[in-house]
Amino acid sequence: MAQDGPRKVALIANCLLNQNAKVCEGARYRGVVSPVVEALRSRGYLLQQLPCPELAFAGARRWWAVYEQYDTPAYRAHCRRLAQAVAPLIEQYLRRGDELILIGLDGSPSTGVRFTSSKPEWGGRPNRPNDDWEIVPRRGVWIEELEAELKRRGLPPVPATGWALDMGRFDEAGSRRDLEAFLDSREVGAGSHADDPAP
Amino acid sequence: MTGDARGWHMALVPDSLINPRDRTGAGRPDVLSVLENSGYGVLQLPPPGEHGPLLAVIADQVAEYAHHGYAVVAIGVRGEPSGGLHWRRLAPLLRHRGVALPPRYLVRSDAEGEEERIARFLSGYDLPVEEQRRWRV
Repeated sequence: MAQDGPRKVALIANCLLNQNAKVCEGARYRGVVSPVVEALRSRGYLLQQLPCPELAFAGARRWWAVYEQYDTPAYRAHCRRLAQAVAPLIEQYLRRGDELILIGLDGSPSTGVRFTSSKPEWGGRPNRPNDDWEIVPRRGVWIEELEAELKRRGLPPVPATGWALDMGRFDEAGSRRDLEAFLDSREVGAGSHADDPAP
Repeated sequence: MTGDARGWHMALVPDSLINPRDRTGAGRPDVLSVLENSGYGVLQLPPPGEHGPLLAVIADQVAEYAHHGYAVVAIGVRGEPSGGLHWRRLAPLLRHRGVALPPRYLVRSDAEGEEERIARFLSGYDLPVEEQRRWRV
């Protein structure tokens, strides 16, 4: 890789490098999510870990939650503070011509890209596994605020997808195929992609 | 935590070790793979430069982990300013949050057998047993 030429940089959800950030009972790996890292590194991507908004807000011992529970003014303000902290770094990459992508965590109320979790009437004591929630095609709160901050800075949308860890039933092989298809489509049509829309 | 796979260990790691300029260089340790194989999560430090707000966010996260039963270490680079860990900025931020400074290992990029030494350092560190019992249920 040429040291001074444009580079490929993947902005990745915090928990893809550190599963300790996951909500209680949500970690599927000890630390690093190896298939994601392997798929990105083998294609020459540099990794840029994003902060975990839930950990710093609700703590390491938090309960699981849905989009609507995090869709509050205080949490959005917290996400904006985090976005403002990391945006200068992202801006540096974009200004030097690097090719950026974003890998979030599908199904997450915060970091979902294609999908988030939803149940407007959820509240009170969690009752897993009997609790039921919906998976809906929408960004999580953190990704919404991060993208809004980049837009405020006049930066272009970053093509994005999600590792489907929080979709209810985790299918690693399917998630890997999805991610690799996204990455390989970038290789085929480099430079011609618009932001991956929520379906 | 039923069915939860977390390893309760993580390392602060400089950007230069996550994204080395030449990952195939002979003898250069692949620190990310060593961390992965050791069951450690990663908290990535930004590249050199002024990143005050981001370092404060990272310090908040380290404090949350350190206060709830997680073992946190730092893997730096020998010869880089502050080991590549922004230590002069990060250390006071951690102290301010009541966090003992994580044990540090400084990687020698040209030393033979360095990956094994890093792995030994990682496997040799944990919190006192009573702290583990308190939180890791």
